[in-house]
Amino acid sequence: MRTYNALLRLYPRDYRAAFSSEMSRAFENAASERRHRGGLAYPWFLMTELSCLAIGAAGEWIAKLTTSSFIRGRALPDRLRMRPAGVAWESYYAGEFVPDDIAEVQQRIDANIARMVRAIATHDFATARKLDIEERRDREILRRLRAEHGLVD
Amino acid sequence: MKDIESLSNGRVRLSTGTLYGALRRLLEDEWIVRFEQDDTSREKQAYRLSAEGRRQLDAELDRMKQLTRAAASHLRASEA
Repeated sequence: MRTYNALLRLYPRDYRAAFSSEMSRAFENAASERRHRGGLAYPWFLMTELSCLAIGAAGEWIAKLTTSSFIRGRALPDRLRMRPAGVAWESYYAGEFVPDDIAEVQQRIDANIARMVRAIATHDFATARKLDIEERRDREILRRLRAEHGLVD
Repeated sequence: MKDIESLSNGRVRLSTGTLYGALRRLLEDEWIVRFEQDDTSREKQAYRLSAEGRRQLDAELDRMKQLTRAAASHLRASEA
């Protein structure tokens, strides 16, 4: 994983901001799956992943230098967009920075879902229905907050 | 990545570098768009075909069908 992340640093910064966390996650998932397969699957996977990553970095630099910033901006974040003070460039543009009010509602939704699953598992459908109504209400609040923060896709 | 491998019966294995390079190009061409899944238990970023992407896919499918039809008719003619 450390080698993978080190190679990711070879990519252009705007590309990293948009994709590096997704790529690391995808790599981790695929790596654990290959590890379980046993045999040569895992070493072969590592070799192809790391070599393709290094080659891909070169390709992405060529793409960055030969593509107009207008077209590139469709896929990658605009670095001139304002970000809150004290928030790292990478985490903000990668969507890792979440305002406190959004994070709070999101946590409430997650907790409600977990409680709803437990209620259904114990056949407590009255509670599950109540939690379902709460969850819908919170999702509406979340949608409104995201629009207020300009986080609508 | 897993879907691509299973769809191709293990013949195509995309690395993350290749996959995300392709995603970047598809986003730039506006053939796909990012969207947020309702299912928050899935932490993956989701992408879907745009209307333009759908048009391009249909055109590519037509092209491939024409190609296989032409190859099949050529094969039949050479065997006859």
